[in-house]
Amino acid sequence: MKLNTGERWDLIDRISKETVTFGAYQHTLKDAIGELTVKPMTGIPVAIAVMYGFWSVFGSFAGFFTDGFFVRLFDVYWLPWLQEVFPGQGDWLYAIMVDAGGFESGEFVLSSNCLESFGVLTSGLFVAIGVVLPAIIIFYLMLALLEDIGYMPRLAVLLDTVLHRVGLHGYAIVPTILSLGCNVPGVTATRILETKKQRFIMMTLLAIFIPCGAQIGIMQDVVPGLMGWILLYLIIGYFIFGYILNKIVPGKAPEFLIDVPPYRRPMLSNIGKKVWGRIAGFFKVAIPFVLLGCAIVGVLYQLGVIRFLGDALAPVFVGWFGVPKETAGPLIAAFLRKDLAVAQLSAITMTPYQMITAVVLVSIYFPCVATFAMMLKEGWKELLGALAVLTVVVFTYGGLIHLIGILLGVA
Amino acid sequence: MKILLMGHPNVGKSVFFNRLTGANVTESNYPGTTVDYTKGWMKIEGEDVEIVDVPGTFSLDPKDRAEEVAVSMLHESRDAKVIAVIDASKIERGLYLAMEIIEEGYPLVIALNMRDVAEDKNITIDADRLERILGIPVVSTVAIAGEGIKELVSRLKEAKPVNVDDIIANAANASDTESAADAGGAA
Repeated sequence: MKLNTGERWDLIDRISKETVTFGAYQHTLKDAIGELTVKPMTGIPVAIAVMYGFWSVFGSFAGFFTDGFFVRLFDVYWLPWLQEVFPGQGDWLYAIMVDAGGFESGEFVLSSNCLESFGVLTSGLFVAIGVVLPAIIIFYLMLALLEDIGYMPRLAVLLDTVLHRVGLHGYAIVPTILSLGCNVPGVTATRILETKKQRFIMMTLLAIFIPCGAQIGIMQDVVPGLMGWILLYLIIGYFIFGYILNKIVPGKAPEFLIDVPPYRRPMLSNIGKKVWGRIAGFFKVAIPFVLLGCAIVGVLYQLGVIRFLGDALAPVFVGWFGVPKETAGPLIAAFLRKDLAVAQLSAITMTPYQMITAVVLVSIYFPCVATFAMMLKEGWKELLGALAVLTVVVFTYGGLIHLIGILLGVA
Repeated sequence: MKILLMGHPNVGKSVFFNRLTGANVTESNYPGTTVDYTKGWMKIEGEDVEIVDVPGTFSLDPKDRAEEVAVSMLHESRDAKVIAVIDASKIERGLYLAMEIIEEGYPLVIALNMRDVAEDKNITIDADRLERILGIPVVSTVAIAGEGIKELVSRLKEAKPVNVDDIIANAANASDTESAADAGGAA
């Protein structure tokens, strides 16, 4: 037999009257802390402090290992050693695997560091292990802590009002933050949103505007001074285009109801398991893609394809976006891995503002192949829609950033 | 045999799943961590049992994609037993989902999880009495600490479909006996 909703609640009422006793409610310290972090007056400062803490720990941990250890290891020992022992200096295999080098007054010279060498075994390994690995270890460790303590839903409540402006609600912060680690779990997490409209907006915004942990890690290392501007442009883009999408995508954006769970002491074993799972995934998926991306770009360089593309697209790159035409190479690498693309950008000579524009372009112009595959799994219609939005965004926003640069007199 | 772990978001289904199967499903302290199902295996008294970690759902009337996954998982597994994981500090709405599953004729066991949170809130639940009214096993647990898991597993075999009429009758009887006792006490 089936009951209707009213009958079912009546029965449950009767059952719980018989079995549940509610004692006097006591306001515990946990409750007090819980409230302080949700009420806007105290919650917003706490949120800022948490974010700032997150950022400082991230930066100093990643910096400590990358600058203090891996840069030296790779540039002082690994690169010169490989340059020495790898056979066939100057031929194509050498260029792809070790060092593409450069020409100074007609003479072939070797690169002096692993970011400029563009080799699979030098740049590729350095980016994957020397820069990105420390960054994602600390990122996932802190993310797991925030998750298990139970802070995330509170952040969702705080940001609810703002996110409503872009057709989403507070809960959109969960896919967004997950995407800061990696866009792939971010895309999966959009399933917690109720309507197709919300899922589409969220997925599109993630794929375009949220840089992943690997990319943030490399940016922190190669363009630390420009980080603020790059992130600012991405955040502004997230809200501008979210606002527009909310206006033009049909469908509903319902209110949000969330259970704010109690704060908990995180379990060390669970944190360890989660972080380890992510790192294992990084070794299995990300590192092969970084090396593959490095190899593909290397081959395309050797074949002259990148020079050709750069020349052919020069009017777009130089005229519309205001970046050097050499950016074509990194943009191809960005199909596979954004971290690699940023590393390659850093080896190209350009002004700081061009660098800001180029890194923002690398972030927004196409999701990396893993994210692309995940979006396809969630629905090809959404994927096509997202790509259409993306094309429009790249050209309008890329042009707008260039225009802002011109108006500021820095482009 | 197949067992589905079902319940509201963030009641600890994934914690049970990891405890039961030794697997590594992501657990976090916020609703919506599991948005797709995961399958695992465990042995109960020599028999291989398939356990499914189902995404959280508030009712059998899905509101989002993750809930759709949950409900279709249940409907595709007609021969499965269900462990309904209920947040002991929010028992009524947990019972709502459990009732819906009972009404569809699935054999059920209830895990009253997060007993520690309920205690913090001064909520006490008479699990034995709940068990007598519902006619199915009800086990108090604190899954992250591993408390009650063994008992839950040992009582899985007692899960059986129950008729809603019996539950209604039991609930009425329970309140009758209580008021009779009260009356007796007053006299």
